[in-house]
Amino acid sequence: MNESPKVPRYSKALHRLAVVLTIAVFPLIWVGGLVTTYDAGMAVPDWPGTYGWNMFAYPATTWLFGPFDLLVEHSHRLLGALAGFLCIGLVIIAWRVEYRRWFQFWTVALLAAVIIQGGLGGARVVLDERTIAMIHGCTGPLFFAMATATAVMSSRWWIELGQESRRETESTPRPINSKLVVLATLLAIAAYMQLIVGAQLRHLTGAVAPKLFTAFVHSHLTLAGLVLLLAVIVAALSWLGRFVPASVYRPSGLLALLVLVQIALGLGTWVVNYAVPWEAINQQIAHYTILAKGFWESLIVTAHVATGSLIISLSVVIALRTWRFASVGTSQAQNKDAIHAAASQA
Amino acid sequence: MAESVVEIVKKHLTREVLCAFVLFLGISGCDSPPPKFAPNRLFIERMARGEGADLEVAAPDIAQALEDWFGTPDQPKWPQILQTEEFAGLVDVDRLGRAAGQVRSDENDVHYGLYREHCVNCHSQEGNGRGPTSVFLNPYPRDFRPGIYKFKATAIGRKPTRADLRRTLVNGIVGTSMPSFQLLKSDDIEALLDYLVYLSVRGEVERALIAEAAFELDAGDRFYAPELSDRDPDRFAEQREVIEDVILEVAGDWQDSFVEETVAPEPPEGVPAFAVDSSGRIEDAALRASIDRGREIYLGEVANCASCHGKTGVGDGPTKDYDFWTKEWTTSLGLDPADRDAIEPLLDLGALKPRVISPRDLRAGIYRGGGQPSDIYSRIVNGIEGSPMPAVAMQPDNPRGLTELEVWDLVNYVLSLPHEQLELLSGASE
Ligand code: HEC
Ligand code: HEC
Repeated sequence: MNESPKVPRYSKALHRLAVVLTIAVFPLIWVGGLVTTYDAGMAVPDWPGTYGWNMFAYPATTWLFGPFDLLVEHSHRLLGALAGFLCIGLVIIAWRVEYRRWFQFWTVALLAAVIIQGGLGGARVVLDERTIAMIHGCTGPLFFAMATATAVMSSRWWIELGQESRRETESTPRPINSKLVVLATLLAIAAYMQLIVGAQLRHLTGAVAPKLFTAFVHSHLTLAGLVLLLAVIVAALSWLGRFVPASVYRPSGLLALLVLVQIALGLGTWVVNYAVPWEAINQQIAHYTILAKGFWESLIVTAHVATGSLIISLSVVIALRTWRFASVGTSQAQNKDAIHAAASQA
Repeated sequence: MAESVVEIVKKHLTREVLCAFVLFLGISGCDSPPPKFAPNRLFIERMARGEGADLEVAAPDIAQALEDWFGTPDQPKWPQILQTEEFAGLVDVDRLGRAAGQVRSDENDVHYGLYREHCVNCHSQEGNGRGPTSVFLNPYPRDFRPGIYKFKATAIGRKPTRADLRRTLVNGIVGTSMPSFQLLKSDDIEALLDYLVYLSVRGEVERALIAEAAFELDAGDRFYAPELSDRDPDRFAEQREVIEDVILEVAGDWQDSFVEETVAPEPPEGVPAFAVDSSGRIEDAALRASIDRGREIYLGEVANCASCHGKTGVGDGPTKDYDFWTKEWTTSLGLDPADRDAIEPLLDLGALKPRVISPRDLRAGIYRGGGQPSDIYSRIVNGIEGSPMPAVAMQPDNPRGLTELEVWDLVNYVLSLPHEQLELLSGASE
């Protein structure tokens, strides 16, 4: 194969950077979750500075050994800045080595997303608006999913699968079960909707009417059922179906497990926040008194938030891979048809 | 270089720019109006129905008066007339300000907006116990506005002491959704206590003013009209006086108990303190005798604990009762709490769906007001205000009542109940 600029080329640097970004965003999400769990959003009253300092020059002693809320909030900002720098790096590399035009623009979109996300975080602080905090909390996982998608779409697997389809037109096309493609996509959408509803439950203010809260609780439970159902079906279809590659069935199985863990964490989150709605059962849960801002309480709640993001990203991985297989399968099939057509014409 | 970029960004990222940015993203709520306390519509309706009063004109006046004397959730005021020596120890104005308003904290780890950070989701901004989560909680969170508290060392009808409410905040209420705030700094706890008193006094004043208007005012009369201050200063002064008298009375009740130093009651000489050995058995003969006497008292006519908590203490007494916060707007208006249609309009005004309150299963060993012998003693001699649990009749006030010694025997019996089964089992295996 000669290096025609039309043929996408795998770049190790680009892919590695995308993976590093994805890995870096996960702790960013965790610490962001901690900001909300500890209600530390206003532990630093200014932005983009930190107590009048350039945020990168803020004294490490106060940051690390000062108030806990300040530690959480300032760390979140630094991790956010790191994600921003990694995105800039991605754009630069993409525009130098990448041949896929759309991918170059995708990295620009990724950079725009991280800037908007940072801006929202700043607006939450400067305007002291909890509604913006809630939105910032919903868009964060979206950015995490975008970073994950970048890693998937820059991988050797993704790029070479496309090339194989051009080269090896003789090999049997293996179109992936189209139901799987649809369900995996639905799963990603449902998981994200679930996160949005979860954010409503989490970013409560006294202004929310009990009826509205009740509606959110019921939606969150219903969507939990839906996500579980979809996750189980996707896992079952990929494990039982023929021709489903390991790059799809492995993450599908993991995702189904993760959803189960997430449901357990969700129930735990409710109990450590609000106890059980049945008085008699509360009596039986031994001698548990909720400890406000307790270590385990905060860990469970924040883990529930972070796992929610992880589920979205993992379902995006699965959806993207099924799409990829589907499109390659179709193009192979088309190629084959073309060959047949050519042969019959001859 | 990075410094100057940050400087430039800082200079241009004004409130307005960020507002525009947020609006551009399609997010509304940039300049949400400062919150206000919602009026106690349920109590207005209750008095209107109960007394046949028309409070249409008075209600907004009362809301205005409350705002003038008590401020708003962001800017609470503690009435000037209470900032005197006489009411010292109730509310510290600085701490009150710190507990109110938006949540934030600073470099010295001073936290502000404590009530909104820690309490509002359950107890609500007004402290009416109807926060967003309330419908899922059982028992419901406390409505602070009537100023009635369950777990206190003072008699029924009296306010709790600061130590009572502090214990509730620090320990939480086991077996309910009320959390423990023991990880908070003690100064934050004190600020929350001040805010609690503020909400209670404010809520009680509101109720008293509504009652005053219902009893004293003719339909259509103004209760409080600030515009009279120029036109008819005498009339205005009268209106103010009515309001300030109510405030002084409510705060006086609080002052009478709240600042009191209470000493935990201790068993007198000769009554053994409750204790189990490591295998959960009660070995001490004197203690066993005390428990046996306690059982008789428990089952007896005077204490009559068994009528609610059942002969075996599992809480299976035949009562189907409701708590004060429910009865106030149902049975006291002649409405059956179980009659959905009758109570529907009141639910719309902010009442929580009535729930039967059951006597505690004393074998569960869960004591919401604390599990120390002195706590149980307090529950028995003071009752649990707001719940059906009465105070036991005591000598010498009531010649047929219990003596202090008998109450301590009863305390020992109550504390032995969670261990009794275990003991019977191990006794059988011997
Ligand atoms: C997760 C919900 C929740 C939160 C948060 C919460 N409470 Fe409560 N609180 C309750 C419930 C439920 C009860 C009623 C318990 C009962 O009746 O046994 C209660 C009861 C109380 C009582 C009444 C105790 C008595 O003796 O009657 C006080 C006082 C109180 N809470 C204060 C606070 C304060 C102050 C905060 C914030 C620092 C707070 N609560 C936060 C749920 C909550
Ligand atoms: C009219 C019914 C009634 C009677 C009589 C009664 N109780 Fe209760 N008791 C209750 C109810 C209802 C509760 C639950 C109150 C709550 O938590 O809101 C309760 C709770 C308790 C508790 C738990 C307190 C805590 O801190 O959680 C104890 C202990 C108790 N009762 C002991 C007694 C004893 C001893 C007697 C006899 C002197 C007695 N009760 C008589 C109804 C009653």
